[in-house]
This record gives sequence, C-alpha cells and structure tokens, in this order.
Amino acid sequence: MQTSFTAEQLRDPDTAEANKILRTCVHCGMCTATCPTFLLLGDELDSPRGRIYLIKDMLESGRPASEQEARHVDRCLSCLSCMTTCPSGVHYMHLVDHARRHIEETYVRPWPERALRAVLARVLPRPGLFRLSLRAAALARPLARLIRGRGTTAQRLRAMLSLAPATLPPRSPMQEVALHPAEGTRRGRVALLTGCAQKVLDPTINEATIRLLTRMGIEVVVPRGQGCCGALTHHMGRHDPAMAAARANLQAWGAEIEGQGLDAIVINASGCGTTVKDYGFMFREEPEAALAAKVSSLTMDVTEVLERFDYRPSREAPGLTVAYHSACSLQHGQKITTLPKELLARAGFAVKEPTEPHICCGSAGTYNLLQPGIAQALRARKLDNISRLDADLIAAGNIGCMTQLSGDALPVVHTVELLDWMAGGPKPAKLPA
Amino acid sequence: MMLADGTAQGHFGPMIRLPPPKPEILARRDAILADLRRLLPEDAVIGEAIRLRPYETDGLSAYRQMPLAVTLPRTTEEVAAVLRYCHAHGIRVVPRGAGTSLSGGALPLEDAVVIGLMRMNRILEVNYADRYAVVEAGVTNIGITKAVEGDGFFYAPDPSSQLACMIGGNVMMNSGGAHCLKYGVTANNLLGLTFVTIEGEVVRIGGQHLDAAGYDWLGLITGSEGQLGMVTEVTVRILRSPEGARAMLAAFSSVEVAGQAVDAIIGAGVIPVALEFMDKPCIHACEAFAHAGYPLDAEAMLIIEVEGSVAEQDMLLNRIKKICARFDPISLKLAESAEQSLAIWKGRKGAFGAVGRISPDYLCMDGTIPTGELPHVLKRISEMSAHYGLGVANVFHAGDGNLHPLIMFDANDAESFRKAEAFGADILKLCVEVGGCLTGEHGVGVEKRDLMVAQFTSSELALQRAVKSAFDPGWLLNPAKVFPLEGNEALAA
Amino acid sequence: MSAALDKVTAPDTEEGVAEAVRAALASREPLAVEGRGTKRAMLRPVQAARTLSTRALFGITLYRPTELVISARAGTPVAEIEAALAEKNQKLIAEPPDLRALFGVEEGATLGGVVGANLSGPRRITGGAMRDHVLGIRAVSGEGEVFRSGGRVLKNVTGLDLCKLLTGAHGTLGVLTEVTLKVQPAGEATGTLALRVAGLEEGIAALSAALGSPFGVSGAALLPEGHAPLGLDGPVALVRIEDFAESVTYRLGQLRAALSRFGEVSVLEGAPSRAAWRAVRDAVPLGAQPEEAVWRISVAPSRAPAVSAALREAFPARLLLDWGGGLIWVAGPATADSHAAVMKAAASAGGTFTLFRAPEALSAALPVLPEEPAALASIGQRVKAVLDPAGILNPGRMRAGA
Repeated sequence: MQTSFTAEQLRDPDTAEANKILRTCVHCGMCTATCPTFLLLGDELDSPRGRIYLIKDMLESGRPASEQEARHVDRCLSCLSCMTTCPSGVHYMHLVDHARRHIEETYVRPWPERALRAVLARVLPRPGLFRLSLRAAALARPLARLIRGRGTTAQRLRAMLSLAPATLPPRSPMQEVALHPAEGTRRGRVALLTGCAQKVLDPTINEATIRLLTRMGIEVVVPRGQGCCGALTHHMGRHDPAMAAARANLQAWGAEIEGQGLDAIVINASGCGTTVKDYGFMFREEPEAALAAKVSSLTMDVTEVLERFDYRPSREAPGLTVAYHSACSLQHGQKITTLPKELLARAGFAVKEPTEPHICCGSAGTYNLLQPGIAQALRARKLDNISRLDADLIAAGNIGCMTQLSGDALPVVHTVELLDWMAGGPKPAKLPA
Repeated sequence: MMLADGTAQGHFGPMIRLPPPKPEILARRDAILADLRRLLPEDAVIGEAIRLRPYETDGLSAYRQMPLAVTLPRTTEEVAAVLRYCHAHGIRVVPRGAGTSLSGGALPLEDAVVIGLMRMNRILEVNYADRYAVVEAGVTNIGITKAVEGDGFFYAPDPSSQLACMIGGNVMMNSGGAHCLKYGVTANNLLGLTFVTIEGEVVRIGGQHLDAAGYDWLGLITGSEGQLGMVTEVTVRILRSPEGARAMLAAFSSVEVAGQAVDAIIGAGVIPVALEFMDKPCIHACEAFAHAGYPLDAEAMLIIEVEGSVAEQDMLLNRIKKICARFDPISLKLAESAEQSLAIWKGRKGAFGAVGRISPDYLCMDGTIPTGELPHVLKRISEMSAHYGLGVANVFHAGDGNLHPLIMFDANDAESFRKAEAFGADILKLCVEVGGCLTGEHGVGVEKRDLMVAQFTSSELALQRAVKSAFDPGWLLNPAKVFPLEGNEALAA
Repeated sequence: MSAALDKVTAPDTEEGVAEAVRAALASREPLAVEGRGTKRAMLRPVQAARTLSTRALFGITLYRPTELVISARAGTPVAEIEAALAEKNQKLIAEPPDLRALFGVEEGATLGGVVGANLSGPRRITGGAMRDHVLGIRAVSGEGEVFRSGGRVLKNVTGLDLCKLLTGAHGTLGVLTEVTLKVQPAGEATGTLALRVAGLEEGIAALSAALGSPFGVSGAALLPEGHAPLGLDGPVALVRIEDFAESVTYRLGQLRAALSRFGEVSVLEGAPSRAAWRAVRDAVPLGAQPEEAVWRISVAPSRAPAVSAALREAFPARLLLDWGGGLIWVAGPATADSHAAVMKAAASAGGTFTLFRAPEALSAALPVLPEEPAALASIGQRVKAVLDPAGILNPGRMRAGA
C-alpha cells in the first residue's frame, strides 16, 4: 500500500518499522475472513485490514489518537489469526502493538476506564496482589447482581466478578523453589518462566511441568528476579512497565546463560511465549539487544521442549477423548499447530479439534475483562463447537484460554498436565475420578 | 497532506475520473445520515470521517474515494428500505461485499451511500437431494463449501480470494477460479437470486429449479457489477466432491513448447480440473518464498490436477505424462500422495504473496486471450516490461485463456504507479487485439472502464448503457463503473 | 402465420439481415424471425407480415478444437456443426434435442434456433444448458444495428452479458447472426445403467443418489412407461457415464453397487447406450401424438413425483423426466383445462412451465410461460424497448402483446 510519512517521521525507528509493515500490506482483504471480530460485527473497521488502515491514517497524521481509533483497536484480540492468513507477510502484531502504545500515550480515556486499566496493569502481574484481589472478588461475587446498568463499566465489572474463580487453589511452594534437579542422568538444563496470573490461578500447571521435565532428566531452574513477561502491560500499550518487566527477565535469564548455561527457556503459557519470543524485536534499539535476541532464540513452548527431549508416555492410555483447543498465541503467534496434538496422541489420547479452530475463544489476555460482550460471544461459539465433538475433556496450552473455557460442561486442563500424567505423574485433580 | 476533517491523504488522490458529485446531495449530508439512522439500527449507519475511511477503497487500494455514508444492513428488507430511500432522493448507491475486488468494484463516490453486505452472512438452507444451497449474499465463497463439505459436497467456483470474497460479490462479478475449466464460472452454478431493484422492489429470480422460462434475468444480472440492482440472497448449485485429486508438475524450456503441450492435452480429450501455467519470473518468485522445489531453469511450468479415484488419477496423470514427454520437458513430477500434491501447489498458491515480497506493490491484471496466442502475448509483455522498466510475472489459467500478469511497482512512487497503469492498459489492449477480452474474472470495475472502447464500438456501449438504464433510469447504481463516463448525460453535473 | 410464410426474406449476409430489419422498421412491418422454422409450433404463433429467415446465413467461421471453441453463422444446421465436432472427437455440451419428429418437420434445426430457444438435452444436468456455453454472439437489433456481445474466449466478464439475454429470447430481442460456443471432448466411451424401479418416487431417489455420487454422471432420466424399442420396461431410471473407457467401466461398477438397492440393474454400452439417450434427448419415449399438447416443467427434482401425480390426476398425462427429475416433459389433451392443471402443478411446486407445442388456437389464447412479478415484467418491457423499440421482432412469440 501507499504510505505518506514525512522524512522527519521516518527518523523515528518505531515509525519506520510501522511504515515498513504498512507497505507490505496490499489491502487484499484475505485477513477479514479469519478475524473473530469481523465475523461477529461485519464492519470493515473491526477487521485487520480496516484496523491497518485506521492505524496508518492515525500514525501518518501524527495527531493524537481519537475515541474511534481507540475503540476499534481495543476491539482487536491480538489473536494474530490474520497473520496466519496474510499472503503478504504483514507483521500485524508489531503494528498493532505500536498503535496501542500510541493510543495509550496520546488518548485520554474516560476516567472509569483509565482506573480499571490502571488496576489491571498493577495487579495482574503481581501474584501477591492478584491473589488478594481474587479473594476480594470471591467475596464480592454475590453482589454482582447489584451492579446495574448496560454501560461499559458495569459490564466490565460484572465480567470480572464472573471470571474470578469461586475458590482459589492453595499456594504452591514448589513454584518458588529455585532449582529442581534432574532425575537420573542430566540431559539438559532449562529455565522455567512460572508466570504471574498463572501461578495464582492454577499452580498445578507449573508443578506438572517441573515434575515432567525433571523426570525426563532435565534440570529446571526458576531464576530469582524472574516475573511477569510483560505481555499484559505491553498489550495495553503501556510501553515502559512492559519493558521493565521484560528487562528483569532478561537479567535473570542472562545470569543463568552466563552462569551454568541454558538449553532453553521454557514457557507453558503460550500468551507469554509469544511475547518472550518477541523480546529480540522489542529490544532491537536497546542496549540489551544482543541478550534479548539470544533469549528469544532460546525460548520454547513446553511442547517444543518435550518434543526436543523426546517425550514418551510410560503408562497405558486411559481411553479418553481430548478436545484440543489451539490457543491463538500458540497456533498463530508461535506457529505451533500440530505438535501438541501429536504429543497428546503419542501419550495415548484420542484427539479431536473443533470446527473453526482458528477462531479465538475470547480470552486474549485482559480482553475478556475489557470487551466482555465480544468475549462472551466468542466463548459461547467456541464451547458450542467443542460440545459437538463428544469429548471427555478440553486441553489447552494457555492459562487464559483455560480460565475462559472453564465452568461449562467439560473439565479444562493444560496439555502438560495430561502429558505428565501419562509419563509418571498424578491424574489431574480437575478430571473426574 | 492534511484534510479539513483532520485525516491524511496521500501524495496523489484518486487516479481515475469520477462523475462530479451532486452538490445538493453533499449539502444535505447530515439530513441524509439522520434519515438513514431512522431506517436502520443505530450501529448500521456510519457517518464519521474516521470510520468511513477504511471504506474508501477495496482490493485496488491505489484508488480511494470517501463515501457519503456506509450502511450495513442485516436483512433484505433493510437493503430494500435503503434503496427505496436513495431512489426517492436521487442518492447514488455503491454496493460492497468483502471489498476484495481487484478492479475497484467497491470504490465509492463522494455523494454515494455504500451498502455493505457483510452482515448478511447466514446459510439459510442446504438441500442435498436437489443439490442446492440458499445463502445470504454476505456468506463467503469458502463458507458455502465449508457448510457442505462435511457431507462430501462443495461449491465449485473457487476464485483465489475465496476465503474472504462473498457470494454476492461473486454473482456481481461472475467470478471464476482455477476450477472453472471443468465446472464453469459463477453464472453456470446459480439457480436463483433474491434481487432488489433501485426502487426497492424485492424480486425472486429463478428458484431451486434449472432453466427458468422467459428472459434469462439470472444470466443478465450475473456479472452486471452492481449496475442493475442488488442481490441479497443466492441459491447456488452444490456438487458432490470427487473421490480425490492429484497434481503433477511439468517444466519446459520454452513458452511455445508449454503451450503446445497444453494444446496436446486438450486435443487428447483430457480436461484436467486445473491447468495452471507460470512463467520464469513467477517460478522464481514462488520458489524463493515457498521452497517447493520448482526448477529454476525452466522458462515455463505447468501444474496440472486431475480428479477421480486413485486408479483414475493414475490413468489420467499417466496419459498427461506421456503427452508432455513428447515436448522434451525439463522435468516431470507426478505426485504420489496428497502431501506431494500439496507440495506441488504450495508455490503456486503463494504466487501473489511471493511477488509481493520481492516488490513493494503489484498490479494484478486480468485479461483473456485465445490460448494459442500465449507465446506471442508473453513475448510482447516482456518487451513492454523492458520499455516501462517494470518487472512482471505471469500466471495463466492455461485451460481457459485467463491471464494474470503481476506488474511490480512501488506505490510510494507516483511515476512508478503511472507506468504500471499504462503497462497494464497496454496488456489489456493487446488481449483484445489478439481476439481475447479485457477481463476474464475480475470485472471491469473502474480499472478497465476507460478501456471498454478498445473492445466495444460506441453503439455497442450505447446499447449496454440503455439496458442498464432500463433497470436504473436515473443511473444511481454504481454509476462510475463499467461504462466510460464520456457522453453519459445521466452523470453530468 | 401463413401470410408471413408467403413473404420470406432469407439474406445470405449479416448486412442483408440488418437491411431486412431496417426495411421492416421503415414500413412498420413486424417480422417473424426464424432459422429454418422447425420450431414454428413452439410457444405462441407470431402475427407478422413477413418472415426473416437466417437459413441462407450459414457456415462454420472458426473452429479451434484445442481452445474448445467453435463459431458458426446462425443458419448453420446443428447437424453440420455436430459432424464437424465429431471429426475431432468433440461434442456440443448441452446436447440440443432433434425435435423434427415432435414438431412434424423435415428439416433439422439451426444453431440460431437452438440458441434462441435455449434448448438443452440430458447432459444439461451436469454439463450445463445451451446458455452456459454461448461465449459470444453477433446479432441484429430491432433497429437494424449489428452488435456483438461476449467473444471467443472461455472466460469473459467484460460488460453486460447480452449473450445470456438473447439466448432463450426466441428472437424477440435481436436476430442472431453468429454464435460462438464452448465445446468439449466427446467421451471416449459411454455406458448406461438402467434401473427397473417401483415407481416415480423410487426413481427420483435413485437419480438423486446417482447425481449425488462422485462418479460424474452425465445423464439422469426417468421413463415412467419405459421404452419398448430399447427393450426397457417402465418405470426405468437411466444413468449415463461418458468418459475414458477405464473410467466408464469403473464408474458403472461403482454406481451399480450404489444403486442396486433401488431395483434390478442392467447395463447398456456403446451403441445401445447412445441410442437410449438420443431417444430421451428427443422426447421419443413421451410418445406425444400430433394432436396432443406438449409441455415442459422445470422443478426441483424432489418435487417431481408430486407434480407428476397431480398431472395424472387432472388428465391422462404421459410423462418423461430428465435432468434427474428437474425436467418433466408432459404430453396430454390440448385443452385449456390440461394447461390450467400444468400451470397449477408447476406453481405449487415452486417451478416453472412452458407450453412447448400446441395447436395454434390454444397457444394463441393461453399463457405459454408463467407470469412474471410486476417489477420484472416492467423491466422486461423496458429492456425490450431498448433492443426492439418498434416491437417488430417476433411480436407475441413469448407473451401476448410483447
């Protein structure tokens, strides 16, 4: 497409990058076909192509973002389904991330929204605070019906309360232990990003990961100083907090790489994996550029690590059918599509995928809190598609999806929990006895 | 350049003449928006400049024109209401499907209301016994096939934008696709339409039966590019999918020889389900991107696909292989499995994207030529390429003569774009010169409007215009498309 | 009509045709437009002072077998075109019927005639109708102007598709002078499954199963009375395959297995298969008597049994079903009552009808085609006014006063 940035504007490396991305777009419109919001809303403005056009206009004009631009960019799930579809290789993710930053920095949102976003940005990445707020939400839940009104804020508050789990799992000390030695001969050494929200909502994911990897002869470190990957704040356009979180991780992992070395940085929440694999890009103009590139190249989803170290089951298949939910960050963000299914099949499960597998479940980070209407519509659509599979349970590779899809007919577990179970671990407690 | 509404416009505005907007309509803009908001739900009318901007263009993004308003109806009744209103007030209308048109079919006018079909996306009925499906016009082409593939059926016309393009647009453009050599184009696969006239009258044309009696309105409306009315529902034929399909690849040392091989295949009575030709620049672009193992020393390459049981596939592929062998191919590769077939197709399917990666932008042309003229036409195109200093890669539907030259240019360079347009126009005129036509499947749109005089005499154009006027005397429906503006009184300011 | 036959103009050039139309326009004399007049008894009789025939405007002007294209002047006999195609192992896809027997005439149809009437035979069900293969036309408008539409290439969406408009317009919108058609290879071999079915319902179900199979069926007919000359006892469903010999063998075998549940199966190959389909194509099994009227009804196949029952209840109707049941040929008493029954049955099945052949007195007085919705009728009048402003081309051929 034609772009019209001034030479002055193009001196800014981020703008230059945005221009490069915009030029690759030929406006063919194929992306609209696989975009969940275009599917639901049927408006060019809620399609990747339309957003690209809005963003182009916004950035070229150099003016502050307006309510319209914020609205349509906010509605983007960042599911990246468009990137999978795009024949021209448009890097939509980098473009929309840049646009979000521009919106955050130039558009003044209505104060209830500002307040909510500030709370989410502060609380979610901090497990301690998050745990406290979930306790409060659990208590406030019965009062949800007192929140009246069809306004956006009311909808969001209700959504938050309904998503908060009724009971919290107990703290897991295992997640805090810095070093988990390999069982038997050590075949490799990895760092595990234990995450932030995941640690509170479902510690069994990290526990299963650690058990399985150590059983396979891999030493697992949980470096001090590691924390939230920064995805949450990054997707809200809050550049500095995101970079700060990422920087802390770079330092923690850098120390390990320089120290005893790492074969991989393992991530079991695919939403985080996509961001960490993008650290190389995010830090390209920063002093940490080389380290960030190194870190990104070492980063693997847990399924990639299991494949690399030749995962094998050690017990008989339990005769269960798994509905495999392919998280957007995994299939579109990291291009990992068949591997988790192959591993589950290798482990002895019958694996089925729902129709429209490329369409997001609506979780998308904080999306289900900030865009409850669309998120709920997508959730219902996904669960409906899954219900037709006649499966016993749902497996996914991302905590966000798991939370979003819970509470319906089928139990939801993480892929790694099932793989751990089949290779010597306990049966996941979420499954019926 | 900044506009008064604070939005930016590029270095150069629309490159094609549009009829002057009606000042009385522009003056009444706010009142019109208010009226439309009374006719349709709130979220179905778009009026603010920022939100109108993405609707200013379609797949031919070089041409841009902001509309007066955009409406997104959900039902035939809503479409009829908008048309009735526009007709009563002399407001021009531009229909829009998915906006994937490569000929600028959805390019708006400053004084026009865009009516978008995107929200009319329901499948209404599927009948396997009688082999038809009734769908709303906003259902995507692949959406129809997806709805019936679980039961072993498909909808045959498969334009390469089928993922996103909508059946309503397919009807308006009479879209084709690689399958059309064997299965025909859109017009050959329709049974009925729900058609809305500019006066807002809803008419059922055809139905679930073949061959309506009386005049072939279905045939006339198909391919009419929004000139005659709007289509809101379509009854399509669905076909049982063949048992299987498999591809082969044949690479030749010259275009002439490849053309002779194609002639020999058809002459032997074999009609493959796909017969795709790629020239050397195209082979190279595809290979660089897809690493499909295409031979880089070939001047021309054919991808041929056949259908049937495995044994039938073998029989046909071997027949074709024997025929191709007579022409001293550089390589011949028969797929032995579905995976190998996919691998052969991989490069070709990514052709447009591949060209997009070696060039900032490209213009995808669409002319048809008698297949025997291919070597001559390609030679002339390569001469033009040297003359204009722009690269070009050619994809050719060898079975039906539809040629897609991909002209590489840089949209940020005004001169480059002007040259690309001139190059494209020269190619299309050449197509007509050798006995072909301006457009095989993309439609005339705005892109080829001014070239219509190369294919039709002025009295033939007058006749077509008069037929259009029979449906739309006030020229409110998509008036800037298909027919040259000169001498059309209905469009004078 | 006979007055018109005394004054016949048969120009041998396109310009001659244009002159004839201009002369008629000048003297305000309506013209009956025809090729060799084989189908005069079709639809409605034309009130005209003179007949304009294209019989002298013949000859194949272009034939490119490897481009699947043939062009010929409108007065070229269809038989000549078919012969030229057969020499190169090709065929007319739509399989136009030879209606000499049905219309009681000696001469065969012209290209302009079968295109003007959009006549298609059994292969229409999967191969497409005549109108699907008209790639280009040259014609003379009602103002005596020569115009073209389409061209000689398979893919063409340039401008409004007047080829489709003039195909099946029975000469009322223009006089065809040249037509370009898409053609196809003739299959190397052919074979037919004949299924002795219990009744029409089972027959339609069998044809539906055949057409819904992946075996590329190219003909699907149902003969309620069978066809004695071919040794076929009715009701019998016929399913045809045309392809390379190995495919014909394989597919007939597969279809036999798939369809044997509908009835006893026998196979016709080669000449007997061809003979069977020629008979179906020409509506021979219908056994229409010269004094009877013949109708064609087009419906969704699954409605055919109900339509057939309604007709048989209304009058002693003889039927022949083609296109998987989507086309119903009807022969019966040439009365207004029978016609009313046909119209009613077609309408209630959501389909359409044509009074194909009837004595003049009947067809002059009754609607030979269904009435159009008002909006469409008014557009039709305006389109006719564009192409034939003075209304001199075949007035009243399709509808009274049109």
